[in-house]
Amino acid sequence: MIEEADFKCLRCGHEFKAPYEKGKIEERFCPKCRSNSVRHIKKKL
Amino acid sequence: MMDVGRHPRIKLLTYSEIEEISGYIGNFRIKIRRKARYVDENECTACDECVEVCPVIVPKEHQMGLASRKAIYIPFPQAVPSAHLIDIEACLGFDPIACSKCAEKCDKNCINYDDKDKIIEFDVGSIIVATGMDVYDPTEFDEYGYTRFENVLTSMEFEILTGPGGVTKGELIRPTDRKVPKSIGFIQCVGSRCEKRGNPYCSNVCCMNTIKDTLLLKEYYHDIECKVFYVDIRASGKGFEDFYRRSKGLGVKYIRGIPGDIREDPKTKNLILTVENTSKGSIEEHELEMIVLSVGLVPRYDSDVIQKLLTLSTTSDGFLMEVHPKLTPIDAPTSGVFFAGCCEAPKDIKDSVTQASGAAARALTILSQDKVKIEAVTSIIDEDKCTSCGICADVCPYGAIIVDKKAKIPAKVIEAACKGCGTCAAECKFDAIRMRHFSDEQIMAQLEAILEENPEEKIVVFACNWCSYPGADLVGISRMQYPVSPRIVRTMCSGRVDEKFILHAFELGAPIVLVTGCHPVDCHYIDAQQWAQRRVERLWDKLERKGIRPERLQLEWISASEVGKFVKTMEELEEMRKKVTREEIEETKRILSKIKK
Repeated sequence: MIEEADFKCLRCGHEFKAPYEKGKIEERFCPKCRSNSVRHIKKKL
Repeated sequence: MMDVGRHPRIKLLTYSEIEEISGYIGNFRIKIRRKARYVDENECTACDECVEVCPVIVPKEHQMGLASRKAIYIPFPQAVPSAHLIDIEACLGFDPIACSKCAEKCDKNCINYDDKDKIIEFDVGSIIVATGMDVYDPTEFDEYGYTRFENVLTSMEFEILTGPGGVTKGELIRPTDRKVPKSIGFIQCVGSRCEKRGNPYCSNVCCMNTIKDTLLLKEYYHDIECKVFYVDIRASGKGFEDFYRRSKGLGVKYIRGIPGDIREDPKTKNLILTVENTSKGSIEEHELEMIVLSVGLVPRYDSDVIQKLLTLSTTSDGFLMEVHPKLTPIDAPTSGVFFAGCCEAPKDIKDSVTQASGAAARALTILSQDKVKIEAVTSIIDEDKCTSCGICADVCPYGAIIVDKKAKIPAKVIEAACKGCGTCAAECKFDAIRMRHFSDEQIMAQLEAILEENPEEKIVVFACNWCSYPGADLVGISRMQYPVSPRIVRTMCSGRVDEKFILHAFELGAPIVLVTGCHPVDCHYIDAQQWAQRRVERLWDKLERKGIRPERLQLEWISASEVGKFVKTMEELEEMRKKVTREEIEETKRILSKIKK
């Protein structure tokens, strides 16, 4: 299921939302600095 | 096709589908489903008497529904074998009371309604994939009225209409009044070179196909008016520019501009096309009796089947990906598999024939020898450590590892199929896989040498052999400058970068570690790169849990030509490195050594 998720760029620190599908690996990049060091921020329960 | 069918050393299996492919280079085993024809192909003389009595009429697939066929039919005139087959879904004849007219009419008793699919198996040494392509469906370009206006056709439909084997036996007529049109317009690049609709790539063949059509039209119908609406004409092959000039010389008008709208005159059924002529800078209207949409080529609708059967990868366009676009354009990433024609990329007949000749020659190089030379970089299983968990087999992009989890039989590497990406070694939790070359010991020793002195001044970069490492090389060749802190450790694939390499680098005092490799679509090991991404994402969480800033582990996909990206990344990492304090490095070392203990 595709859902909107939070991501953080580990290069410039920019936080943003983007579509996310669990288990799917795709090339992600930061919309601000174009780095691929983009981390999916998991929701804390 | 006839020559191939008659060749004593070629076995042609038409009306068949591949069900399963196993094995590896030189030793493939293929399971094929031979579909039931319901007609004895050896006895049938294609006399057509059965066709005459068959009462069922359905659209003919081979002519895109522009013609019809019977339920008993020959798919196309040149089909091999030249024998009928029954479309059993359309046929009424399973029950003789319902029909069975063809069986009654056939003197040779060729009809067999009880025929069944047959499964046959073959051993082959190499495989050539030549599954072709489909044409783009332009229905989404609503402004062109395709399917709304009968006189708007695609280039493929036009080909069927005008071809000698076509529905009109080569006679050009327009669909609405069955008369020869006095004017025809061709719209180029429909669904090609478009980011928003259709496909972003150029299909390579459409310009020359249109030029050929205009030449044929001018040859057979001297007075016909031909107009071609284009963005730019790509006539880059041998003799193609002459072809283009000949077309213009015969009076074909080339108008630079892509039409924005087509309307139909309800009385005459003529088509009125509005276009911005960008050469003149004016908005023009053209009334034409017929319009042909020059549509591009797309991957076959079922190309994913062969992709899965042979563990192949595709480019972002969906065409099958070769090992290297320049150096090995015919070879598939799976050894012993080669490409011919449009399954690999859109290409014209000449290029397809050239590639097919190359593929045949490449296949022969395998068949003509008893042994095959492979790269020395392969993985080796340590059976004493292997727990038969099967993770290595799951991650191997080539299916080169066999493991029987139930019987707890240790994993086995098929060396002829192994390409040495090292993903299995990196994913094995029990250290039961070692690599020939790029071994753990070699990589660890490199890290120790790099970080022996002043580690806080170094950035450890794990770069893959095919993209990022040549990218770094190209930066040097291009005499570009980047900071002196990065130290590159080459691996065959980013998938080889084991978690323990990264942690060891941090333990030795590395302030920043970068994992870099091919972009996902460029991965030379099908999808091994994805495992690197998964591993880095896992490690970010792990580092954070241990109290180490995940920002210190960086990830970047850099292709061999992205020199600018490589330099920019290194400059950014240098800035990050400067912010990592000695205290933070010492704390990291303390945390990791504590975990080790």
